[in-house]
Amino acid sequence: MADNKSDSKKVSRRKFLVRGGLGTIGVVAIGTYIFRNSIRREILGTVNSLDLPYTDNTDKPMVWFEVTTENNILLHSPKVEMGQGTFTGIAQMAADELSVSMNQIQVVHAASSTGNIDSFATGGSTSISGLWKPLRELSALLREMLLKEAARKMNIGIEELTIEDGVIFGNEKSMTYAQVAEGVENWKVPDTPVLKSLNEYKYIGKPIARVDLDAKVFGDPIFGMDAQLPDMLYGAVVRSTKIGAKFISADTSAAENMIGVVKVIVEEDFVGVVANSLIEAENAKDAINVTWESYENLNTEAILKIMTVGNGKSTIIQKHGDALEEQDGVEILEFRTPIGAHAQIEPNGVVASVEGDSAIIRISTQVIGLTRKEVASRLGLDVENVNVIPTYLGGGFGRRLHTPHAVQAAVMSKAVGKPVKYFFSRKEEFQHDMFRPPTHHIIKGRLNGEGYLDGLEHQFVSGDVGNHSALMPDFLPPIIGADIGAIRGGFIQYTGIPNFRSVYWHVDLPFATSWWRSLGLLANTFAMESFMDEMALKANKNAVDFRLAQIGDDAIGVRLKNVISAAAEKSGYSEEIIDGRAMGFAASIDANTPCAQVAEVSIVDNEIIVHKVTVSLDPGLAVNPDQIRAQCEGCVIMGMSAVLYEQMYVENGELQPTIYGPYKMALMKNAPKEIDVVLLQGKDTPGAVGEPPLGPIGAAIANAVRRLTGERLTEFPLKLTKTK
Amino acid sequence: MKLKTWFIFLAISSIGVLLALANSPKIFEYRLLENQQSEIYKSDDAYNKMMDVLTHQRCMNCHPNDNIPKQGNDRHPHYFGMARGEDNKGFQATNCNTCHNSENNKYSGVPGAPHWSLAPASMGWEGLSRAQIAERLLDKSTNGNRSHVELIKHMTEDDLVLWAWQPGVDAEGVQRTIPPVSKEDFKKAVEIWFANGAVIPTK
Amino acid sequence: MEISLIVNGVLKTVHIEDENTPLLWVIRDILDLKGTKFGCGKSACGACTLHVDDEAVRSCSYPVKFADGKRITTIEGLGDRENPHPVQQAWVEEIVPQCGYCQPGFMMATAALLKKVPKPTDEDIDKNIINVCRCGTYYRMRKAIHKAAEIQTEKDSNESNMV
Repeated sequence: MADNKSDSKKVSRRKFLVRGGLGTIGVVAIGTYIFRNSIRREILGTVNSLDLPYTDNTDKPMVWFEVTTENNILLHSPKVEMGQGTFTGIAQMAADELSVSMNQIQVVHAASSTGNIDSFATGGSTSISGLWKPLRELSALLREMLLKEAARKMNIGIEELTIEDGVIFGNEKSMTYAQVAEGVENWKVPDTPVLKSLNEYKYIGKPIARVDLDAKVFGDPIFGMDAQLPDMLYGAVVRSTKIGAKFISADTSAAENMIGVVKVIVEEDFVGVVANSLIEAENAKDAINVTWESYENLNTEAILKIMTVGNGKSTIIQKHGDALEEQDGVEILEFRTPIGAHAQIEPNGVVASVEGDSAIIRISTQVIGLTRKEVASRLGLDVENVNVIPTYLGGGFGRRLHTPHAVQAAVMSKAVGKPVKYFFSRKEEFQHDMFRPPTHHIIKGRLNGEGYLDGLEHQFVSGDVGNHSALMPDFLPPIIGADIGAIRGGFIQYTGIPNFRSVYWHVDLPFATSWWRSLGLLANTFAMESFMDEMALKANKNAVDFRLAQIGDDAIGVRLKNVISAAAEKSGYSEEIIDGRAMGFAASIDANTPCAQVAEVSIVDNEIIVHKVTVSLDPGLAVNPDQIRAQCEGCVIMGMSAVLYEQMYVENGELQPTIYGPYKMALMKNAPKEIDVVLLQGKDTPGAVGEPPLGPIGAAIANAVRRLTGERLTEFPLKLTKTK
Repeated sequence: MKLKTWFIFLAISSIGVLLALANSPKIFEYRLLENQQSEIYKSDDAYNKMMDVLTHQRCMNCHPNDNIPKQGNDRHPHYFGMARGEDNKGFQATNCNTCHNSENNKYSGVPGAPHWSLAPASMGWEGLSRAQIAERLLDKSTNGNRSHVELIKHMTEDDLVLWAWQPGVDAEGVQRTIPPVSKEDFKKAVEIWFANGAVIPTK
Repeated sequence: MEISLIVNGVLKTVHIEDENTPLLWVIRDILDLKGTKFGCGKSACGACTLHVDDEAVRSCSYPVKFADGKRITTIEGLGDRENPHPVQQAWVEEIVPQCGYCQPGFMMATAALLKKVPKPTDEDIDKNIINVCRCGTYYRMRKAIHKAAEIQTEKDSNESNMV
């Protein structure tokens, strides 16, 4: 963000850069668009090279589009694709405003050298909503520029021209965008034209197949793990199995003489080895004897003791009416969630090539800007000389919001003078994850005479999510007071209740916890929506009616009520147990997107089986309804996996387990055979999608189990204590 | 009566010992002594040694009674829901050989031996007493119609049985534990037990 | 050691020092076929599933020496864009992948399943398809597996009609 801030100070106008190169005719670059609104018409210049320019110009142009000789549009995405479908959504947006067909748009990850990277991150379910306006405006602008140029070249009035699939027609003549752009060195940049109306869009709003579908079905080498550079060697870094271990020294003598070993690198903070092959690097790594300074005998009990409401510092994040006094009629429930692993299937990895004063980094990262900055700073390079080229991510989920391994690979590459590829073993992935923090919740509520809550209080404690993240400036947390990640989902949505408050407690853990898809939402919603269901039971009210009656009438409240009603209706929500199955209801709001879910559950051999989940989501305008459905399905399954099966534990100072299987996750057989998604549109712009549907699933399942068995489950992984 | 028997026994034993001390190297002396022990005692000892092995995790894990192979020293169910299937080798397309080879894999920690599979369901031992295990072992209707000779051969020569003493490393690279009786002692115990009529001791 | 493999129908000979090197790394790093993925290296996730003589094998746990003289099929050889395997066709029609990383392993496991069980039941699928997907695409995968079985059956009957 800093980069763009400095840009916006210096740039008083939007800049366009047009250049040609191998296979491309015009490259249109637009400077600092997102942060600037004022436009002055000027052309920056032309560069005849495919090597993306880093001119001395401080305006730092951002390359968004290239028009290829085949009349396709290359769209350099500032956001990375990690499965969430952003590439498809932005292709739809660009195609519609550019008046080209979907298959004429090729989306690629913008390298940092294009200048067009999101210098903060890809995450927080913001990609489509954030790009909705600027990307369509940029696309419309390019279309307008091409039209004007076509009018000049064809010598026809612009108003007589029409466009179809990237071909401009007029007076029985036609020119492709490629032909129009050919040879143009100076573009006139018009004012941003009026955007098309929604009903003019051919692609936006349609369930278009993913643009990366073929690449992913036919096994194309698109991931970080697949990246390679000529003459590449393989690296490995020794990691301690113990929490908090600090590297002291290493005996590398055995490793140095092993077959295939090129160099053992001992730095202040790590020891790595570079070899000719991956297996040789791994074997040599195992032969290095490292002395660590480490914590002793830390175990899960110690962690739970730390992680208890009342420890650490508290911040009231929400307050309305009076505090709930301890007195008769106050119901109290406690909830806990364990340490969660990201467990994404592609391990963290990187290929780094450092040559002279520049570096190339090929990596699966959610933080291109941060990756670049850290590499540059460690190696003493100019940030501009570090080109981070993102790849497709084999799962993100927040795991790739910090990439110190890029720095290590760069250090190793510099030491051997060749590109080095290196990635985590699965054990390292599990032990050195930036975990979802464990949480503890105490919720209190008091029912009034009519059976509604007149007071509600949620106190919860969590380890770091946003705080201490490399993404967060250190000065920020003390100002905010609360961890912006941990409090996600921690705000009480039943604002019709006269007195309520939500209190966040922060404690430090001896290991790193950080961003995990949906952040605090999963745990906070589990706790609150379980409590609400218990209160509905206590009040002898239907769980849906009980919720609806206590939600406020502001815009988000109305949208929340709508998704709740829609989920109840679509699922045929009933509180009867039919054929051994019960339904559980829960709802949440995350990033301004409300979601309600109904889980249909039975118990077989004392195990919780989820048969069907109905999801009702209001993401605003749905750019790609199919991909929104896919996100809902994925959130339900990833969520139920976390809720029913997953937990990390600490034993003898080690985080365990270290492999799938012992780290139990949902498999095919566990996934619901039916997931019914209802999409509502409660606002006319796109909203958050990738995380909000993770909110309700925990409580939805737990509430169904409660109705089925009478047992209130208050801890992940949900397990029946008594045989049913 | 009793005293008299003891005297004769001691006398014979003493003569044996004396003869042994006079004429034999030490190792022989031990054998001679052993030979003097009662048949039942020897056979029981062999039986116990054999059973120490058969009831060890390395053996028991693949002789389940619920069609689910077990793993590790804690005998947890095989991860990912693997089970016996139709032919003791898992399911149609995902079976033992999807992961297990004819030898241990040091990189993945996946154990392997020739014809890696579960023992037939009729040879399920989990939860059985030693005597019950022995009964199943000897019963031709459960042991795959094997004679004593065939059983001895199976138990002392089969690669998958003997894998118990070369079980390789686990996923963490840690050596798996082996049965509490050495391979040679186990083989000897099997031979002695059968040689003595494969008698199942009653408590 | 010199090892000959028929990879996706093409004979390849590789020289390798450590004959126990997992087949996965020979396929990926020496033969440069990157569709077969590394996920865990412990035969737990199934991302590295490919076929050895038509059987599903987790290649991270398969020493290359055992592959000598055998037929290896990877996702690249299962089918291509012009001529997709029924499993790939079904995966496209159901828009299954999200991040996509685990998908080749799932598709290879599914193709192996269909060879043994042309019309798998949900139970067959639950037992045989035990790879790990973090994005949670199981729901669509199940639909795609059933669809692939249909496509396969149709294809087979068309072929037999032609004969």
